[in-house]
Amino acid sequence: MLVKNSETDDTENDVEKMLEKLQEIKDQEGIIGYILRGPKKASIDLKDPKKIIDYAVLSSAAFDASNNMTETLQMGEVNKIVVESEETKLLSMNINNHRLSIFMEKSVDHNKLYRNLK
Amino acid sequence: MNRDPYAIALNSALTEIKKAYPDITHSFIFTKNGTIITGDQETDEKTMNNVLESFENLKEKTKTIGNLKSFSITAKNGKLTLSNINDMHLLLATSKNADKNHIYAITHVIIPTILKTLETFAPTPLQVTPQKKLVVDTLSGFFAGDSVQIDVEILNDWTKNNDPRSRVKAAITGEQNMQESIDQVHIETFGGNSTLCKVKEINDQNLKGKNMIRIPEKLCRTLDINKGDLVKVKPAL
Repeated sequence: MLVKNSETDDTENDVEKMLEKLQEIKDQEGIIGYILRGPKKASIDLKDPKKIIDYAVLSSAAFDASNNMTETLQMGEVNKIVVESEETKLLSMNINNHRLSIFMEKSVDHNKLYRNLK
Repeated sequence: MNRDPYAIALNSALTEIKKAYPDITHSFIFTKNGTIITGDQETDEKTMNNVLESFENLKEKTKTIGNLKSFSITAKNGKLTLSNINDMHLLLATSKNADKNHIYAITHVIIPTILKTLETFAPTPLQVTPQKKLVVDTLSGFFAGDSVQIDVEILNDWTKNNDPRSRVKAAITGEQNMQESIDQVHIETFGGNSTLCKVKEINDQNLKGKNMIRIPEKLCRTLDINKGDLVKVKPAL
């Protein structure tokens, strides 16, 4: 399911390219979905639409917690966040002024995804 | 921070590891219920508390995808790794170019081995005093007494025995794994005042489950706190 939260004129090439990559990534085995949040619009594509709110809250919490921690420890801007539970993994990153979170099964190589997207 | 021999030994271990691996900028260990055991000597308690608070917020939200197993941040000037070790979390902040193999050795070999060794040889087991932050409500009137009141769930939580060896013993013998009930608590305000006082469970049904501590007005004045303030409370075991 694809949800566009707002229509804007934001047609930057980088973002379009990233969305194309995300379309490819979401069809890969083990990918649960992604949330891409920009200054003006958000794109969400999750296999289970019932989890949109929970996953959006988790994505936001990951960025907030990471920003607080890196600020406290004077580590500079956050590039990549990885949260792992028993079966699921979350990869979050700041990219082109957007916050991207990809949810996946634990077996997926998140480093490969990160390299592909950066 | 905990000052029992177990925690002191861990503190020394973290400090020595930091000396051996200069890429480590901060390191500390805390329990799954959010109590800091110890950290390296160059990381102050305020820093640890700030990081811990952020982590606890994230951990709560992570329940959406199951229990948190590990967490890492790659930032512009370094990397932060949080690992689960037994019933504890180890947080390591390293410089950007830290050797991955060294970090893996520390989180998966060195610290778990130290913890295991300490559990075997330490004269006293790890004593965790789970401190809670509670909201003050004032008790007034003729029957206010001199005891504070806390939710029975919190008191029960504190009486559960956290010593793994006691848990094993309880499982073998079938005895209930509980410590004696809590009669007194230590209250500390954010202004630095503290006191030890008797504790009872909250008797007003409407005030239960609200993360609250009811404190007699007289004691509130002594501690220089008001209704709605936050205080740190831990059992006096």
